[in-house]
Amino acid sequence: MNVIEGYANGLFEIAKAEGTLDEVEDELFRFARSYESSDELRNALTDELVPVTRRQSIVEDLLGGKASPTTAQLVSMIVGSGRGRDLPAIVDRLVQRAAATKDATVAEVRTAVALSADQQDRLRAALANATGRNITVKAVVDPSVLGGVVATVGDTVIDGTVRTHLEQLKSRL
Amino acid sequence: MNHLTSALVAGMQQFPGAEYGIDDQGYTTHHPLWPEQAELIYGGIASLIVIGLLIWKAGPLLKKAMAARTDKIQVELDESAAAKRDAEAEAARIRQSLGNIDAERQRVLADADAQAQALLADGRTRLDAEAAELEAKAQADIAAGAGRAGDELRGEIARLAGAAADLVVERSLDDATQQQLIEAYIAKVGATTPATSGATR
Repeated sequence: MNVIEGYANGLFEIAKAEGTLDEVEDELFRFARSYESSDELRNALTDELVPVTRRQSIVEDLLGGKASPTTAQLVSMIVGSGRGRDLPAIVDRLVQRAAATKDATVAEVRTAVALSADQQDRLRAALANATGRNITVKAVVDPSVLGGVVATVGDTVIDGTVRTHLEQLKSRL
Repeated sequence: MNHLTSALVAGMQQFPGAEYGIDDQGYTTHHPLWPEQAELIYGGIASLIVIGLLIWKAGPLLKKAMAARTDKIQVELDESAAAKRDAEAEAARIRQSLGNIDAERQRVLADADAQAQALLADGRTRLDAEAAELEAKAQADIAAGAGRAGDELRGEIARLAGAAADLVVERSLDDATQQQLIEAYIAKVGATTPATSGATR
């Protein structure tokens, strides 16, 4: 068991014990995506020259009142232990484990605008039909896709984004 | 002695002028050109003595000096002959050297001419080859430049077209269109079965 797996298991057990696994998992997933897309946030939470207490206070400022206390404490713990760089991987592993407990596979879905609950349900059903697996949808709002949807299920990518169509058009040009 | 004197006087008298020196008393008189009889005698004797002394004492010296002079002249003549021979030999040697030099000059000139011709021919060949190579390179550069320019132009057109497409698409993606795209994606994925999915689309 590597370090990432160990941290993921630790977070899973804490969230499960708190009885907020679904909520914490979802909040951690969204925070991990924000962390990936923001250079400023990533630099602030991984800079060794910034004191640990300062980095943890940044996390609390970001998540305080916007996420559950458990989520904020777990992120603060990861950053405080100097594993800020591994945060997305730890969270992804946590999400996969949580899905596995439900006998499901995580589908990371990126759209330019937020999906409604109904759209997430229908998309989960469509992806389940297409892959033959039980699917847990993790939606990410990513303006870079411009429009449409791209879903990643394991190693499978089902890409219907405007960005990809535009890139294909440019490539043909 | 008297006989001798008488004979001389008699002899003198044979000359036409001699009769002027005898006066009527039988004494001889001074002649304007002819000396006195005694003077002739003593002077002749003295002359003979002087001449004899000269021949006796100065003759050998003169003869020796003449012999030395003859020897010296002969040595000089011999030296001159030797110098002449040396000069002729040197002249012959110089003439021969001049002949050799001329032949060598001709040979060197011929060699130089041959080398110049060879160099000229080689240079022309090389120049022709270099000119052909430069021309080919220039043609290739021109073709490559034209190709590059064409590629750059096509790339620039594609870039501009892509940017224009980005702009047009972004402006046309309003909320309704976003929803249509999402619904179309859900419908399309929902219509897919596991047998037809599994690859990146």
